[in-house]
Amino acid sequence: MSDTMQIAQRETGAASRNAADEKTRRLKLNPAVDIFEDSQGVTLLADLPGVTRERLEVSVHDGSLTIEAESVVPTPVNLHLSHAEIRAPYFSRQFAVSDDFDTSRIEANLKDGVLKLTIPRQEEAKPRRIEVSVG
Amino acid sequence: MSDLYFSTELFGELDRLQRQMSTLFGGFPSSLRSSRLGTFPPINVGTTDDTIEIVAFAPGIDATKLDISIDKGLLTIAGERTTSLRDSAESRRAYAQERFAGSFRRAVELPQHADPDKVQARYVDGCLLISIGKREASKPRAIAVE
Repeated sequence: MSDTMQIAQRETGAASRNAADEKTRRLKLNPAVDIFEDSQGVTLLADLPGVTRERLEVSVHDGSLTIEAESVVPTPVNLHLSHAEIRAPYFSRQFAVSDDFDTSRIEANLKDGVLKLTIPRQEEAKPRRIEVSVG
Repeated sequence: MSDLYFSTELFGELDRLQRQMSTLFGGFPSSLRSSRLGTFPPINVGTTDDTIEIVAFAPGIDATKLDISIDKGLLTIAGERTTSLRDSAESRRAYAQERFAGSFRRAVELPQHADPDKVQARYVDGCLLISIGKREASKPRAIAVE
């Protein structure tokens, strides 16, 4: 996320792919998410079974947060699939992130196929008790 | 639309379910015990020459608390998934709760030639991989012509 150059490049790539290759984009799964907000910020949990850290991309660009991942399940060769409830091994989901959040301090943690994103609020956006002085 | 004429009895329901499953997948685990789509965890089943491979996509589970059993050709995967965030602080607002939480149970009917003594299960990156060997007699074999 700190590498903005790379994000920019990736985003243009995504745009061109969108137009050219619409068919393959449709095969991506929307991962199930839980989103919670408290006074510190937003916590997002996403189910990404079979995804390793190397195959996960979380990026923020122009106020949108993108999660892209590829699931790799170690299977033996000559496997003949006879029943499939998960058909596409690609996950993709986008969220709009408002300016209230400090996107430079997003923390990402992937464990057992669950991605946990912690998106803190900007300091000035945190709720704050305002003392009233009696004068 | 013969489905209209089925009674609401449990047996009729199960039968209808089975037929729907078989039209969807055309075979293997579609049976009376198949559950509808969208249940947790989703399962893929495949076969190789030597094994039957079952993958359950169940991220965020404590693998030690998974209960996997084979009884009379029926493989059952049961467990529970808890999300620690869900009921903790009151000041927390939830915007989306799409992830499954709670206990689950899924069953897969194994074919006759599955060998319940040759089962391996691993939990990798949120996927439960179960490999079940086939009985010797059912393995494909080249027959030499004398």
